[in-house]
Amino acid sequence: MPEETRKLYEERLKRYQAAIALAVPDRIPISAGSNYFAEVYAGHTNQEFIYNSNAWSEADARFVHDFPEVDAFRSGRFWGPAHDAVGFNLYKLPGRDLPPRTQFQFVEGERMKADEYHLLINNPVEFLFERYLPRAFSDFQEPGSIRSFMALIKGSTASAMLGGLMKARSQYMQTELGMPQSMGGVFLAPFDYLADGLRGLRGIMLDVRRQPDKVLEACEALIPDIVNAALAIADPLRRYPIFVPLHRGAYPFLAPKQFDEFYWPSLKKVMTMLIDAGYTIRAYLEGNWGPNWHHFRELPKGKVLCDIDIQGNIFKAKEELGGYQCIAGGVPDSTLILGTPDEVRERVKLLCETVGKDGGFIINGGCGIPYDSKPENFRAMINATLEYGRYSDTTKFELQINPNQPAGWQPPKRRIVTPWEVKRKELGGVMGDEEIIKQHWEMFEHMAFNWIFSWLW
Amino acid sequence: MSNFTELTQAFINLDEEKVYGLVQKKIAAGEDPVGIIKECNEGMTEIGKLFEQNEYFLSELIMSGEIFKSIMAKLEPMLGDVQQENEPSKGTVVIGTVKEDIHDIGKDIVVSMLRGTGYEVVDLGVDVPADKFVAAAKETGAKLVGLSCLLNFTFPELKKVVDELDAAGLRDTVKVAIGGAPCNEEVRKFAGADYYAKDAAAAVSICKEIYQ
Repeated sequence: MPEETRKLYEERLKRYQAAIALAVPDRIPISAGSNYFAEVYAGHTNQEFIYNSNAWSEADARFVHDFPEVDAFRSGRFWGPAHDAVGFNLYKLPGRDLPPRTQFQFVEGERMKADEYHLLINNPVEFLFERYLPRAFSDFQEPGSIRSFMALIKGSTASAMLGGLMKARSQYMQTELGMPQSMGGVFLAPFDYLADGLRGLRGIMLDVRRQPDKVLEACEALIPDIVNAALAIADPLRRYPIFVPLHRGAYPFLAPKQFDEFYWPSLKKVMTMLIDAGYTIRAYLEGNWGPNWHHFRELPKGKVLCDIDIQGNIFKAKEELGGYQCIAGGVPDSTLILGTPDEVRERVKLLCETVGKDGGFIINGGCGIPYDSKPENFRAMINATLEYGRYSDTTKFELQINPNQPAGWQPPKRRIVTPWEVKRKELGGVMGDEEIIKQHWEMFEHMAFNWIFSWLW
Repeated sequence: MSNFTELTQAFINLDEEKVYGLVQKKIAAGEDPVGIIKECNEGMTEIGKLFEQNEYFLSELIMSGEIFKSIMAKLEPMLGDVQQENEPSKGTVVIGTVKEDIHDIGKDIVVSMLRGTGYEVVDLGVDVPADKFVAAAKETGAKLVGLSCLLNFTFPELKKVVDELDAAGLRDTVKVAIGGAPCNEEVRKFAGADYYAKDAAAAVSICKEIYQ
């Protein structure tokens, strides 16, 4: 890549990484995890962006061209064709079930029954194939049918394609636009796997009262698979944080006591394991996390970037998390959508002078930049950050790029459906180098499980 | 100290087994089903209060609805032609999630809280177009229309409902309240609504103010 682009990339990434690590960069970084605005800014409808992968680089290039001061961004999580390949029914998509210019939406449902906890806990593979997938994939309603076989083949092909597209996109952003990703790889809190795709909100709310032990046992049992699935798609160079949108831990979905009992312990374990693997995390604290965010002080300092949503009080968040974790947010979504550039500017000024004062702060909307933000408001947010958010002339921080896992670190046990030993026995032994055959056998076993696991939300 | 009956207290404690046991005993003893329902209703009302006071949360609210449903399933066939003596409604409220938004959790909480405090609620569901709100307001004579949303692209839709109520000549008699995660004072002003309810308890207060 041209020297100038490389320099730009490194400058941006350093600024972003420094803020997360609680070092003080040259200025307050500008970075949204989910930049919805960037998806439609170039003029694409929501449907076009979700269905047409050619739109991505076009949209990225236009956005970076017009807003080069942004330090890291990522947009788009869905690729409609992959959903359609299996008939994934957890989301309504623009252009398919919703008007082309609206946002995708989650569909609540009970895709695991109240009496199926033991199946999920003891034999997740069987549970997923026999119970969950027929309910989550409309093309897999009759397992064993031609259509169900086709769904699995189409779905896994689509996922492989999507993986390639996302990699190319990230590469394009880096080498052509000098733009880092704001995150790479994703996971949910164990409790949210249950509360979102599996039991649904209604189901989980009854479970925490009727069968609390099962809920806790399931959260624990999910941990190794969650960690492995997250690592499988995280940035191999550990430059970007792994993303975790946190849903039902917001107040008041759970009482603080319930949060402490059901939500936090298993989430903390997952995050600790990922941090131990050398990663940082970007946690979306969606909704009001006021009563619960103090828990993030229990994790290693400067490892978890916390996005503070508009329902939370960012000034309070700074009081409670300052010196422990970096926070992002502060510009109300409603102001970006309905307000004026002057109002945005006033808000950013206030943020820079208070929560941004000693570093550990990234400017953002509440968890993301809304689709309907006025471009002049987004521009005002940037300009005001440049004006009021400067700390010094240079970012004194060593760029973090690390392909190696920390010494001695081991991933949790990876799930294998048919162990190599069984396969070898069937083959009656192998004639050459066994290790290379075994390695690939296990790799695909592991990838296949991760693929199914990825459809849990 | 509260002086709830044993059944009402068990209901408030969400002690499922005890509640079902007591109900079964009362049925066996030939007690009037209407009376049993009344005791459970009192429990529901108290649970609503505990929710408003942040003593109870969503799981308790959902659980109480579940228990109540089970009891009604048992008692309803026994009611026959007996008219349930409903307390007179304190007023009517039309409520729904606005067009193109399919979220109902917040709306449903507000609906159950309002019903629990004695209001008649016309729940239009989710993805409700503006003209349906207008028609429902006209038909029911409700003095309050509640608009719910979760997604911030719906702000223009909130405004549209207010504008259409205006165009239908209803704005003098019908107040509009908005609620849901992305709402705040700024959004209320933009939409031209009268109230912003930050939570379910605020929604109840607004109704009290309008129907006092």
